[in-house]
Order: sequence, then C-alpha cells, then structure tokens
Amino acid sequence: MTYWPWWLSGLALSGVMLFHWFSLQRMMAVSGRFTGLVDRFRFGKQEPVEEMSPEDLMAALQAATMAEFGSPGVPGEDSTSAGDTPDEPVHLAAAPLASSARPLSHHLLFLGGLVLGGFVSLLLLGGAPVTATLRGAGFAAATGENPVLSYAFLGLGGALVGFGTRMAGGCTSGHGLCGTSRLQPGSLVATVSFFGAGIATSLLLGALL
Amino acid sequence: MKAGILTAVTGVLLGFSLSRIGFSSWDEVHAMFTFDSLRMIFAFLFAAVFLAIAWPLIARVTGATWSPRLIHKGTIFGGVLFGIGWALSGSCPSIALVQLGEGQLGAGVTLLGIFGGNYLYSVVHERYFRWQARTCADE
Repeated sequence: MTYWPWWLSGLALSGVMLFHWFSLQRMMAVSGRFTGLVDRFRFGKQEPVEEMSPEDLMAALQAATMAEFGSPGVPGEDSTSAGDTPDEPVHLAAAPLASSARPLSHHLLFLGGLVLGGFVSLLLLGGAPVTATLRGAGFAAATGENPVLSYAFLGLGGALVGFGTRMAGGCTSGHGLCGTSRLQPGSLVATVSFFGAGIATSLLLGALL
Repeated sequence: MKAGILTAVTGVLLGFSLSRIGFSSWDEVHAMFTFDSLRMIFAFLFAAVFLAIAWPLIARVTGATWSPRLIHKGTIFGGVLFGIGWALSGSCPSIALVQLGEGQLGAGVTLLGIFGGNYLYSVVHERYFRWQARTCADE
C-alpha cells in the first residue's frame, strides 16, 4: 500500500481541521467525543455542572453581564482608538455555554463517519481480506502472531489511550494539531509527552524484538 | 440536522485521510516512532505549521476566539500514558474506528480499551484528584 506523501498528508490533516472548524465552529477534538459518550453513559442526559471550566464560567458570566448591561467595561468597544483592542480578545461569545450540550447522536455520527472513511479508503484501493487482529508484518513480529499477546497489546494499549487522553485533556487532534498550532502551553507539553512516550515505547519494543 | 450531517462528513473525511496517510497502520506508526520513516512526522509538523498560520488569519477575519489549553497536573502523566498506549495499540482515539472500517477487527478490542480507560479515569478523577480536568469537549 502506498501512502500519501508528507505534504499531501499534512494538507489533508489541516484541511480536515479547518473544515471541522468552519462547519461546526469548534476545534476538532476526537478524545472529547469519547468523553462525551462516556459521560452520557455515566450521567444520563444531564451534563454534570462541575465539568464547566473556570475559563468557560468566566466567559459565560461575562456574556450574561453584557447581555444585561451592555458592554461598557470591555476595552476596544468604546469610541477610543482601535489600538486599544487587546491582542488576546476577550472571550465574547457565549458559545462555550452551548458546547457541553452536543447531542449524543452527533458523537455517534462522527465516530461512524470515521469507520465509513476507513472502509471507503480501503474499498477504493481494491479492498483487503478482513483480519481478526491488525495487518502488518511489524505488528505480527511484535506479537509473535500470538492471538493472546495481540489482544493484550490492543486492549492494554487502548485502555492507556482512553485513560491518558482524558487525563491530559486531549489527544492528537485537540492537543497535537489544534492546540500546538495555537501555541497553547498545555497542548505543547501534552504533545511532547505523548510523542516522547510513544518514541520511547517503540524504541524499547524494537530493541526487545 | 445540518450540524449532524456536517459532523458525519467531517468524520468520513478524517477517516479517509488518516487511512491514506498511514496512521491506521500499526507498522507505519511504529516506523514513525522509531524514526524509520519521517514521512508522517513531517506530515504532522506541516499540518501544525499550516494551522499556526491559518488560525490567526481566521481570528482576524471572523473575530473568533478559542479557550486556552493550560498545563494542569494531568497534562504530562496523561500524555505519557497515552503515548505508551498509542505505541502498543497503534491507535490514537480516532484510529481504532478507522481500522475497524478497514476490516482490521482487532481494533474492536482497542476501542473497548479506550472506552474503558476513559470511564476509569473519570471515576478515578472524581475520587482522588481535585484539579480541573479540561477536555477537548470544552473547547
């Protein structure tokens, strides 16, 4: 299988992130969708109130205050020069308030779309036989084609991915692409952490083989 | 309705792209982490740089703002656990689903692991940790 060259791959990744933002007015964040599903499962339809972060709470308060009293206190809003506008704009939109209320069906549509995307991709390449584990000589070598070891890799690895992304508050899309490109400190540190750990684990795995 | 369709379309576009880039191949991910192939590292860096140029332009034109992503106590440790899991399973959260679509059915086990791990962390966090766990979903 020949993959896209690096530049086309990079363009496609940025294109999808931008498409997501323009069509849904939100940054792409795949692990957040898993969190949304899990919370829905745990708490039912009502989102727990404490999930709102301090920043979002401030933004919501600010938006509510402005709706009530207008916006006298916000620099740049009055008739002074445009130079007063802060570089880091105040969080004006009340959008974060609505953000926790994404319907369950949308999470499922997104995750279903991923499955369909993978299916179409392989179909257009002529298909490949279904496998009970994963394809690839490397994976076969790493697990010795032992089914128990294969599923241990996948189950343990998956659990670490789920636990770690929720703990770090993001994954490759939210932190790795959308966060680092906005130079957000949390995203930069998280991305260095998960790439570093991935490199260390893979090198170790390679040395053990 | 419209948002639902756009959400699904975004999922398909991402799934298709990730498949063609090679992110859904355990071997390609392993080659990226061991530096045997720099292709996907360059792809990732290129996308990050492209977006770093795009966001400020978008912010200027549309007036959009985004929530900050701050460092908290779970950032490093969570990132490390995620990285280990990614290297073992060959899957970051979206990839397990792409692999399923490609007929790599072992990804079903990965998917169960991701849901289980996410669930477990939410319980552990409530019982033992006090810091604010922001998720991407807050963005």
